[in-house]
Amino acid sequence: MGGVALDVEFRLTSPWTVLFGPSGSGKTTVLRAISGLVRPEEGRIVKDGQILMDSSTGKFIPPHQRPVRSAAQAAWLFPHKSVRQNLMYGSGWPTRPVQAMEIAEETMSLFRLGELADRNPVELSGGERQRASVARAVISAVTFEGPGQALLLLDEPFTGLDAALRDELLTGLRDWLTRWKIPVLSVTHTLGEAFQLQAEVIKIADGRVVEQGPVETVLAKERQRLLMQLRAE
Amino acid sequence: MDLEALWLTLRLAASTTVILLLVALPLAWWIASGRGPARALVQALVALPLVLPPTVLGFYLLVAMGPLTPPGRLLIRLVGHPLAFSFEGLLIGSILYSLPFAVQPLVAGFEAVDRGYIEAAAGLGASPKRVFFSVVLPMARASLLTSAVLTFTHTVGEFGVVLMLGGNIPGATRTLSISLYDLVQDGNYAAANTTALALVGFAMVALVVIYLLPSVRRSDGRQADVVR
Repeated sequence: MGGVALDVEFRLTSPWTVLFGPSGSGKTTVLRAISGLVRPEEGRIVKDGQILMDSSTGKFIPPHQRPVRSAAQAAWLFPHKSVRQNLMYGSGWPTRPVQAMEIAEETMSLFRLGELADRNPVELSGGERQRASVARAVISAVTFEGPGQALLLLDEPFTGLDAALRDELLTGLRDWLTRWKIPVLSVTHTLGEAFQLQAEVIKIADGRVVEQGPVETVLAKERQRLLMQLRAE
Repeated sequence: MDLEALWLTLRLAASTTVILLLVALPLAWWIASGRGPARALVQALVALPLVLPPTVLGFYLLVAMGPLTPPGRLLIRLVGHPLAFSFEGLLIGSILYSLPFAVQPLVAGFEAVDRGYIEAAAGLGASPKRVFFSVVLPMARASLLTSAVLTFTHTVGEFGVVLMLGGNIPGATRTLSISLYDLVQDGNYAAANTTALALVGFAMVALVVIYLLPSVRRSDGRQADVVR
């Protein structure tokens, strides 16, 4: 896959699934393949029975036609648009603009972006841009026109945020997305995040899936090691 | 100064700029997002007018538009008159001659838009067309202005192609630069000086506009968005 050797196979069964692994293990590439930004040489990606790509038949649905919404690791806020325009960029529901606006407002307050809405992205701090970028993808996913729900892909959505805000956002976002039945696949290398989300975990290393299951089982060893380290201090 | 020539020059430059931008936008986007030998070939063709003597281009266009070649004969039948020595013929010549001045700033501008923005928009469900018009083009707007100003001024200043292709017909093909040449041939240096000064002044204003652009460009904070 573009010079990256990656051989993964998994199935999402839980509302929030976390791809967990060290940097360079191929987590981001998995997300990019699902959103259609890279085209795997070999493979098959299916969502709710809809084939997004299948190398054996040559089928490849372009990114904008996939029921998938994503936010990359960097914020990539469009510099020529205000924060609000950025947040509304991917919003759907053209037939229900009032409801779409309500979703946007609620998501903005969840991400503490209300007061920043009319600013220019260059005026935001790194953490604020990060929040705006994730919120933009969330609004796009919730207001996805259908049929069905969009799969939300988040690449390290909480990295770089300060701890208190991260804890608050994490729980708030999980509840908000559960309410709208939006399935999430996120990438992290932070143990605490996986536990706090109470997510299903896919452990990935060197481009392969090592294990998949509930966070308590899959990351038990990592948790143990962390606890030992904390006690040794 | 020959006011008819001035009016003709402005009309030619404006028409060339409008048509060329419509041609250059998709072409530049294709070059900026393409790769491989096809892209290199197209880039070379686009840049060709930069290195060729204008008379070469003028000569081939003259032949191609005349009754000596099948495409020329077809054109004459379609339009009803030979394109050479007409305003339309001059327009075609100007478009080809100014092509690199329209395309190259746009290619540079499009290439400067980081792929991250394009992928972010695609990840939010935007179609390639929407990505181009709502993200790429606004972010490359300074290049669009550069491209338009350069095309316009370069057309105002062209001489060789006009002379080969259009000759010197008042109201149809006599532009300011040709009129200047005429005045000098007649020994009318005072009038030549007025015309030359107008051309210098025009080019100067256009260049000042282009060099003022970085301040426009800075306000969009293109490089300031990467979080880590």
